[in-house]
Amino acid sequence: MSGIYILCIGFKGFFVRKLFIIGLSVIAPVMALYAEVDEEHDNFNHVHEESIDGDEFDVDTIRFNEFINGLSDMKVAIVSVNGMVCDFCARGIEKTFKRNSEVLKVDVDLGKGKVLIAFSKGTRIDFEYISRKILENGQMATKLAVLELQ
Amino acid sequence: MGIRILAIAFFFQSVNLESRPISYPGGSTIMGFSNHLKESIYYHYSPSYKYSVGVENLKNKYYKTNLSYLRLTYLLKRTNTKNSQLNIYFQSGIRFDKFHDSFFGLRGDWETRRWYVDFNYKELETNNLTNTDQYYQAGFAPYLGEYGDLHTWVMLKTRRNSLTKKWSAYPVIKFFKGDLLFESGYSRDNEWDIHLMYRF
Repeated sequence: MSGIYILCIGFKGFFVRKLFIIGLSVIAPVMALYAEVDEEHDNFNHVHEESIDGDEFDVDTIRFNEFINGLSDMKVAIVSVNGMVCDFCARGIEKTFKRNSEVLKVDVDLGKGKVLIAFSKGTRIDFEYISRKILENGQMATKLAVLELQ
Repeated sequence: MGIRILAIAFFFQSVNLESRPISYPGGSTIMGFSNHLKESIYYHYSPSYKYSVGVENLKNKYYKTNLSYLRLTYLLKRTNTKNSQLNIYFQSGIRFDKFHDSFFGLRGDWETRRWYVDFNYKELETNNLTNTDQYYQAGFAPYLGEYGDLHTWVMLKTRRNSLTKKWSAYPVIKFFKGDLLFESGYSRDNEWDIHLMYRF
């Protein structure tokens, strides 16, 4: 990548520069595709579907209790996400899940790198679905726990 | 609806922004930027997190011209870790009315919840003259806000445009809350450097 940057600075000729723009415009989507494959591969290596049990899954309990306050008869997906380092990065995740009519509520815990999603009780929640939605936003889901609350 | 769009456009007319060049899938972003060399308004739409397409209308204060670009930004590489994210983007633009006027460049950033660094390099062809614009900045968050809070970043930015042929360094402060971001810096050379961004 640094090579491309140095080339960018170095090109001074008009036609060379145009060729460079066209070349990068072709190469860029290919590289972007490669990046996606790379991320999916990373995902595959990090899939751990676990059940939450006390402190085994690192969740901010105060935040979690506030989240479920007023909700009943539902499932809560607790998703660990890599790359969710800022509020702006997490906005897309919230908006994506809120488009799903089975989603009742979404919260983001930036400190713990977790997304909490409340689904209606009958919803089938699996890691593949959650991971795909997170990846659509450019982040990586690494762990999922599902709690069923009465 | 039309009045709302006009109001938003007016609100952003004096500014332009280059932060976050790609939004979430299906997301639109309107940005504004203003410094001593240009004022611009830039709208883009992101079909996926990998790229965005948009239109930028800018007033070039140096050449005293108004230009409109069709812009394209690709995410070349993203690396996510538990506590950080790295992005490298390719950006390009071509003028609607003069196809040989264009620009291309690279942009990259790395951030954690506490630290942030980024760079931007752009080469522009305007009226058969070439100029480059580049900046580098680094900063930190003085406190770690929760989701939905007002977030604040304090940064140091260094910038050079080949038209002015000199580097300048100046402090920048950035605030964002929800879908709205505001960033501003000031130096004697660049005067006010203001960015605004709104996502929807």
